[in-house]
Amino acid sequence: MITYELCLLLRVMPKKELAATLKRTATAIFDKSGFIRKIENLGTRDMPYKTSSHGVVYNKASYFLIEMNVPPSTVEELKEEYSRDVDIIRRRVYKKIPPSEAECTLHEEMLPAPYRKDVQELIASSKKLQKPRFSYNSGLDYYPFQK
Amino acid sequence: MSLILRKCFQNVQISSLLKNTRVLMPVRNVGSEVSDADVPKFDMENPFLKEKQQCILCKHKIDPDYKNVKLLSQFQSPYTGRIYGRHITGLCKAKHEKLESEIVKSQSAGLMTVYLKEPCFIKDPKLFDAERPIRPHRF
Repeated sequence: MITYELCLLLRVMPKKELAATLKRTATAIFDKSGFIRKIENLGTRDMPYKTSSHGVVYNKASYFLIEMNVPPSTVEELKEEYSRDVDIIRRRVYKKIPPSEAECTLHEEMLPAPYRKDVQELIASSKKLQKPRFSYNSGLDYYPFQK
Repeated sequence: MSLILRKCFQNVQISSLLKNTRVLMPVRNVGSEVSDADVPKFDMENPFLKEKQQCILCKHKIDPDYKNVKLLSQFQSPYTGRIYGRHITGLCKAKHEKLESEIVKSQSAGLMTVYLKEPCFIKDPKLFDAERPIRPHRF
């Protein structure tokens, strides 16, 4: 089961309308047989860039984050439904990625070039491309190929 | 005459040396049979081994996230809003690639600026110096 994060930018509006809009977005998820894990209010603030949607230019927005589980096939439908909503300025659905526990590889990357693994692989791959050449000290006293 | 004498002396010296070696040989054999108590033990770790280098995000165990705009903007140029390269930020490859993708996500979601660093983040502490990159710039 994939957990998605829905980042919503809503039009700045009174509390009552805001609640109604959030309810609408939530019911859309439930209708697609999904469920909500978390709703977070990220506040109302100036947008980093102005956005025009549904024929209106917006400079401010209320940010909301909804963590949800929906069938992956319905994500596109959800996005399409939200794109028709006049109160939603912008919406993005991202997969929730668990923090990676990979080891830091900086000490390997800081080595001089010939000691780095990726450089060594590059050199090996370039050597593979080189054509075999005739060596003149092989005992043959003439060049066997056409010059 | 003197030459002959010298040769005689040389012969004597060589023969005496050969004798000495013959005497020394068995002594060496005895030396190899010394008990292990006198042999120093070198089973400790290499004390001169350097500590492994770690990038700043791995050191503090921070995973870049698209909602953490304040962190992401520290890796953004205040002049053009572009992401600094790995040779400047000094991050490991995995973290830098994650950072870049998270910044793109954040900008797409309307959380982060694209062409400039947000003015409220300009005075944030600097994690690196763009003028002094780890590896030279490619231009």
